[in-house]
Amino acid sequence: MPERRSQRSIGGLTRRQVLGAALGAAALGAVGFRPRTAGAAQPPIRIGFCVPLTGPYGSEAQDQVRCAQLAVREFNASGGLNGRKAELLVRDSKLSPDEAATRTLELIENEHVDFVAGSLSASVQLAVNNITKQHRILYNSISQSDAINEPKDFSRYTFHEALNPTMTTDAVGRYAFPRFGKRVVFLLPDYAYGHEMTRGFKRVGKEFGIEVLSEIRHPLGTTDFSVFFPRIRALKPDVLVCCNFGRDQQITLKQATDFGLKRAMKIVYPILLYTARLAVGPRAYQGVVGGTSYYWGLEKTVPAAKQFNDRYRAAYGGRVPSDYGAFGYAGVRTILASVRQAGSVETDAVIRRMEALHYDFYKGPEYYRACDHQAVQSVLIVESKPAPADNQFDVFKILEVYGPNRVHLRSCRELGYS
Amino acid sequence: MDLIGATAVARGWRLWEPIARHRALAVMLFIAVLPWVTPYQALATNILIYGLFAAGFNLLYGYLGLLSFGHAALFGGGAYACGIAIVRFGLPWYAGLALGTLGGMAISLLIGALATRTRGIYFAMITLAFAQSLYYLAYQAQGWTGGENGLRGVNVRRVELFFLPLDFTDPVARYWLMAALVGLALLALSRILNSPLGAVIEAVRENEARARACGYDVAATRLMTFVLSGGFAGLAGALQALELSTVSIETLDYATSGLVVMMTLLGGAGTFFGPFVGAAVFALIQDVFSLWTVHWQLLAGAIFMLFVLFLPRGIWGYLLEWSEQRQATQSS
Repeated sequence: MPERRSQRSIGGLTRRQVLGAALGAAALGAVGFRPRTAGAAQPPIRIGFCVPLTGPYGSEAQDQVRCAQLAVREFNASGGLNGRKAELLVRDSKLSPDEAATRTLELIENEHVDFVAGSLSASVQLAVNNITKQHRILYNSISQSDAINEPKDFSRYTFHEALNPTMTTDAVGRYAFPRFGKRVVFLLPDYAYGHEMTRGFKRVGKEFGIEVLSEIRHPLGTTDFSVFFPRIRALKPDVLVCCNFGRDQQITLKQATDFGLKRAMKIVYPILLYTARLAVGPRAYQGVVGGTSYYWGLEKTVPAAKQFNDRYRAAYGGRVPSDYGAFGYAGVRTILASVRQAGSVETDAVIRRMEALHYDFYKGPEYYRACDHQAVQSVLIVESKPAPADNQFDVFKILEVYGPNRVHLRSCRELGYS
Repeated sequence: MDLIGATAVARGWRLWEPIARHRALAVMLFIAVLPWVTPYQALATNILIYGLFAAGFNLLYGYLGLLSFGHAALFGGGAYACGIAIVRFGLPWYAGLALGTLGGMAISLLIGALATRTRGIYFAMITLAFAQSLYYLAYQAQGWTGGENGLRGVNVRRVELFFLPLDFTDPVARYWLMAALVGLALLALSRILNSPLGAVIEAVRENEARARACGYDVAATRLMTFVLSGGFAGLAGALQALELSTVSIETLDYATSGLVVMMTLLGGAGTFFGPFVGAAVFALIQDVFSLWTVHWQLLAGAIFMLFVLFLPRGIWGYLLEWSEQRQATQSS
């Protein structure tokens, strides 16, 4: 037997081997050609959307999904990309950067998404951005962060539809310091969000010559703020700038109201969340002034806001969109609008269209700045008020709108772009 | 005892025996089929990483009998050591992995030198306290760790493996590279458990006084086991840093310490394969349920409670017990 085997292989290839190789090559060829024929079936345009559906920001994230789906439905109803529909792949980041990174890898590697949008919380969006830029996938972030504008994290695949702390505090400070006074105390949570916001307020405060009396830091998740209040009151500030968020914000305002702090000074917040105000009620937020990216009441003056609100009301039983929810709408709609302009889903072409985009989708004119793809947009200054009996959603009064031409960002040179 | 039954048992046992004898190889086989049973590769890689982390934890908890609530410090410490080596010093990926492992060992040496003098709840509390200290240290040291924003840019695009270039952004290549490394680590773990040291570790768990009376250095054994456990946890952390290309502050969070305890208990503490089973089941529960409903935590919690109530030895622990019982009843 061994001789036979060696005899056969002496002459090089046997007939069987040749036939086998030919068959194999044919099979490979068939496999190789398959995608070309499958391409004719027009797969949907896929957008990955990873937001913290569970956890403390769940209600904001769920509204982001509702708004993003609205943008996708509008795109599909108006014909898609020459008939090609879009689809939103929603994932739960669980407010964890690791989970968000894993989910983003899944969306890119297994679902083969064309674009990624979403995320709430600075660390989560930075983790997602780090992955999308490595895989060269366009990512539109919809959560506040200063770091994402900086050269270390930015890439040409990175877009930032949300406000950033610098522009938010610039507008709020510009409104508050000349009106309420120059003696300021800061109360901030001791982490990135609090630090970035405070840095922004001090930056704009320099212009108005504010005097920082004290900077009081509290740990994230503090439950008793009343220990800080006697000290704050003794300092006799004109303005108390609080930079905390979520549950910390709600507890601070409840306790400050009970303590009578509001009678002695004006309380100012960089961000007043619509969802938090609805949840907590009017008393704690009464008279507090703060910034926001969007409030539905803008519809009285801005036609795009009226359109957006009406579509949302029609789709979701008469309710109105929230501030962070609206980011979800704009974040997805700008991508789809650029896809339609580019006539393809090819990343580079879409990036070029998005860079050139001047849009008015829900809050007035916006555009992405060339150097860091930051959405230059208006900042609203609002004051909390009790809702009238006929409209439970009417909780803010718009005091001022700083339009895109009045919003101050860090300059490209300041950020380190040449 | 009838003869036929005995041969059937013998045959059954023969099937079981190779798995028990070559447990590291058996786990590698499990690792090899994992990408086909999970919904996507990144999840399989996560199971791999957490499985290794849990196996390292199990060395301390399951084999030595010390319940640590601060293993996040070793996992996160390894992740940050690897991340900082790559981001701040521009070292290659393998140096990152080596430093991650060493980082885990160094931190466990530091914590262990104090913590292994205590027992039971005190050990759990001290390890937890150290882990929290490290968490806040990393939180404050923004220049090194990125603080709350996390350490970004642990980006490895290409890996040169013995002059064989691998594309690290390709999920399949990434999985196999990680699987090979985890396989090697498991061989090492199996070797440790089979060695005289492994026997002493179990002797200390069973009866500390007797082990001491037999002339073994109990204190040194505890410390050495803790450091070895830290090495595995550190390697797992370093692998996660490479996989996700970021290190988040959450890796040092006490929830991560809790997670590894849950995974190990779910799979079966004190068994070689249990931690991997636990990691796989936990990850799948989390993944599948969170796609269905935002209330996935309720379901995951209920399942965990059911396991604690009805399968206190864990899934794999129960399977082992069941097969042993069957063998015992059939051979008697």
